[in-house]
Amino acid sequence: MIRERLGKELLYFDGGMGTLLQERGLEPGELPETWNLTHAEEIREIHRSYIEAGSDIILTNTFGANALKFHDDTYSLEQIVTSAVGHVRAAAETAGAGRPIYTALDIGPTGKLLKPMGDLDFETAYEAFKEVMICGEKAGADLIHIETMSDTYELKAAVLAAKENTSLPVFATTIFDERGKLLTGADVPSVIALLEGLRVDALGINCGMGPVQMFPVLEQFLKYSSLPVIVKPNAGLPKQRDGQTYYDVSPEEFAEDLEKIVEMGAAAVGGCCGTTPAHIRAMTERCRACSLIPVTEKEYTVVSSYGRSVFLGEGTKIIGERINPTGKKRFKQALKEHDLDYVLREGIMQQDKGAHILDVNVGLPDIDEPALMREVVQELQSVTNLPLQIDTVDPEAMEGALRIYNGKAMVNSVSGKQESMNTVFPLIRKYGGVVIGLTLDENGIPADAEGRVQIARRIIGEAAKYGIRKKDIVIDALAMTISSEPEGAKVTLETLRRLRDEVGVCTVLGVSNISFGLPSRPTVNAAFYTMAMMNGLSAGIINPASEDMMKSWYAYHALMNLDANCENYIAKYSGAQISEPSGEKKENGMGLQAAIEKGLKEEAHGITERMAVMQAPLDIINSELIPALNSVGDGFEKGTVFLPQLLMSAEAAKSAFAVLKEKMDKSGEVQEKKGKIVLATVKGDIHDIGKNIVKVLLENYSFEVIDLGKDVAPERIVDTVLEQDIRLVGLSALMTTTVVSMEETIRQLRERAPGCLVMVGGAVLNQDYADMIGADFYGKDAMQSVHYAQNVFDE
Amino acid sequence: MEKRVKEAVRYLGFGRNAADDRTLTLIRSCFTELEHMAGPRYICRIFEMEMTEDGKIGIGRLKIESRSLSRNLKGCDRIVLFGATLGAETDRLLNRTSLTDMAKAVVMQACAAAFLEEYCDECQMKIGEELEKEGRYLRPRFSPGYGDFDIRYQEPLMRMLDCAKTIGLTMTENYMMTPTKSVTAVIGASPVKERCPVEGCEACGKKDCLYRRN
Repeated sequence: MIRERLGKELLYFDGGMGTLLQERGLEPGELPETWNLTHAEEIREIHRSYIEAGSDIILTNTFGANALKFHDDTYSLEQIVTSAVGHVRAAAETAGAGRPIYTALDIGPTGKLLKPMGDLDFETAYEAFKEVMICGEKAGADLIHIETMSDTYELKAAVLAAKENTSLPVFATTIFDERGKLLTGADVPSVIALLEGLRVDALGINCGMGPVQMFPVLEQFLKYSSLPVIVKPNAGLPKQRDGQTYYDVSPEEFAEDLEKIVEMGAAAVGGCCGTTPAHIRAMTERCRACSLIPVTEKEYTVVSSYGRSVFLGEGTKIIGERINPTGKKRFKQALKEHDLDYVLREGIMQQDKGAHILDVNVGLPDIDEPALMREVVQELQSVTNLPLQIDTVDPEAMEGALRIYNGKAMVNSVSGKQESMNTVFPLIRKYGGVVIGLTLDENGIPADAEGRVQIARRIIGEAAKYGIRKKDIVIDALAMTISSEPEGAKVTLETLRRLRDEVGVCTVLGVSNISFGLPSRPTVNAAFYTMAMMNGLSAGIINPASEDMMKSWYAYHALMNLDANCENYIAKYSGAQISEPSGEKKENGMGLQAAIEKGLKEEAHGITERMAVMQAPLDIINSELIPALNSVGDGFEKGTVFLPQLLMSAEAAKSAFAVLKEKMDKSGEVQEKKGKIVLATVKGDIHDIGKNIVKVLLENYSFEVIDLGKDVAPERIVDTVLEQDIRLVGLSALMTTTVVSMEETIRQLRERAPGCLVMVGGAVLNQDYADMIGADFYGKDAMQSVHYAQNVFDE
Repeated sequence: MEKRVKEAVRYLGFGRNAADDRTLTLIRSCFTELEHMAGPRYICRIFEMEMTEDGKIGIGRLKIESRSLSRNLKGCDRIVLFGATLGAETDRLLNRTSLTDMAKAVVMQACAAAFLEEYCDECQMKIGEELEKEGRYLRPRFSPGYGDFDIRYQEPLMRMLDCAKTIGLTMTENYMMTPTKSVTAVIGASPVKERCPVEGCEACGKKDCLYRRN
């Protein structure tokens, strides 16, 4: 079995396939996998020559064999994969190498970008990999080799498919550039964190670069990986001649460089593009005398996102706590109304304020938490590269989120209760993650540090049974409010200190609990935060928008020499005096109407706040806001005001509305909405800027907008119209290829919701086109849509 | 004013009007953010090309039927397939800005488009310099979707460039590129140096376009 040999002796992969096929007549644009059936002898021949050159592991000719990439009318995927595996086995037999030859089912990327940045569903990618892998195992492959992955998300789909549907060992290698990043931005530690979390058997790098260029990336792999590292370079950097790509590192040079790579610590080596049996022969001969450097366990506590890794235990990290409905009326409302934009803005705001990780909790009674959690996690990853902390007590929500999360998540939480550990640890074992262990158990929260430390030890011990290591556990020492627990802070601090010094584990705290029930909570919170950091806190779950907390954080790092030359501290606070809000001076007696017309967001906010003290919100709306909007709108239509200016005014008006809305909510006053409008970018279309512009303006004019987002199926639009009794729908499409979806949406609306009007807009549309697909109105710009909506609802 | 700022102003629909200071400030700050966030990459491959008897453009196995492209490529014997992208992080930046400030979002869109064009121009310049050594001169780049050059040619083009692997550029089922701020194009190379090659925008037949350059 290859698992037993891996990491104990040096193993050799084969080299390139594509170039050899081209030499034998594969044409550009021809699918190399079809050669398994059309040119079986050539394929076997290539495999055999690699075996004779010394390769132990031979990759099947199936790199592009997946339902998303391989489209051929003659051969099925099953035929391709089965024959491909057969060729390696046949080659091994005829070669008679006298040593075990392993058939590695080669899995390459789908060539598609996954949602939310592309249009491929995670589960569709998963299914495509699954199909091939089941086939490959059935045909007799010895292992699954996933390679040339440049997106951690697709990588995760492939590894999960392998783990869940086969019992084969899984190797996974990625394609890095000279900056040490994947195309999607991931760094080395984040790739390793993800793959170790998913428990692959070996990981590493292939393609993209020649051996020499790989040295720095390899160094990082060896520094962070606790698994055997695979290295398969190209024969140099690609060069071009007559439309053909070629590589020019000679077999001898290649062998010399690979020897260095083995001496650095690689456990399995081979070649990728441009390498030939001659390269592999030179390599195996040269490396024969090398001894393998044993793989050691690394002790880094790392969480990651698609493009960033965060190390716990270096300084203290900030986990933003704001994505959580507890005690927040507005947030609860947003969740109930499925206003994801609000949730995403909370995420963006916390990143801007300095958070390193975002806690995500969307638990509310009467809400489909698993579905919402998945959606929020995925959407957050389309606006922020911060790692996320999945915060839920619902195991289904936790599993769903861990499955679709792009990276190695932080998980909040497990406790010392046996049932909790029985539920959570299997999920961590399967998906990876750094899990927060709460120091409480069946008997509650121990009153003393000793009791808490004991629970921490028990959690760590139980996790070990699942193969989850201490580095993937972060203990929550629990902050109890000092208003009811006079010794609470002291016990927590002692627990932190002992966890650090005696147990050697990372720690976390929900810091602000400490002041519950006290006045001026920020004062106590900030002081306690500093004390906690001083006692070893690895990460505080805090509100990064709290100035007091952030001051403590910056000051602590400056004081403890964790901020070289106080750089961060100085960058943050040196300009502080100037940026203090002092709106009044700037406004200079300006009226609200003028501020909005000029598009001054902060000023509009400030002026409105002051006006609202004296005047009724509705009066302000009628006397200032509406005239301002009208005047800007008129200017836009006359061609004296342009789109950015129109939108600056819209944003200024929005900030004024927000002040008034808050005041009206408090007094129970309601501003009547003029009507409810559904907006959507049609199915297949991923461009939503136009729709978003229309939305801002409609909201300015007091319409209630239900924004269904982009790439929206016709059925969903019709269902929403029927459920919410909608009279007007606005559809947007950017390209000719998606106007058909617009037409189909209109057709379905006419059929099932005949009373509903449809306005359309978008780059490719014009009046004729709009008439042709049966729209009621074509808006050539956003203001036209506003006027049309006004007409519809004034009738 | 720098060319890219001018271009952004044009994309924002100012036409012949001057942009105001606040918009210009916003444009400059968006470019700064893009400089920081965008990860521009490109790929190109050069092929022999021929005009077939029936008026098609032949690049290896690929046959393209397009009158406007044929006009653009008249006299060329080689063709550069070209792909470029600003990367997924630019899309995230655009998403983020759309959520927090729509005025900035439209400006960011325009700046990203101008940034991408500028990048493509730089790439084309480099490719052109290389080809001039071989006595070949480049035509303006021409993208699927221009004139009657069907957008569906995007698929074989991207396949021949292996865009997904080389620069992380992919396509949706509806031929939209992801990341969204991306370009695919062909660039003809001819042995004859044209005096003043017409650029993309001016070559378009839609004379009443709001965004037209001249």
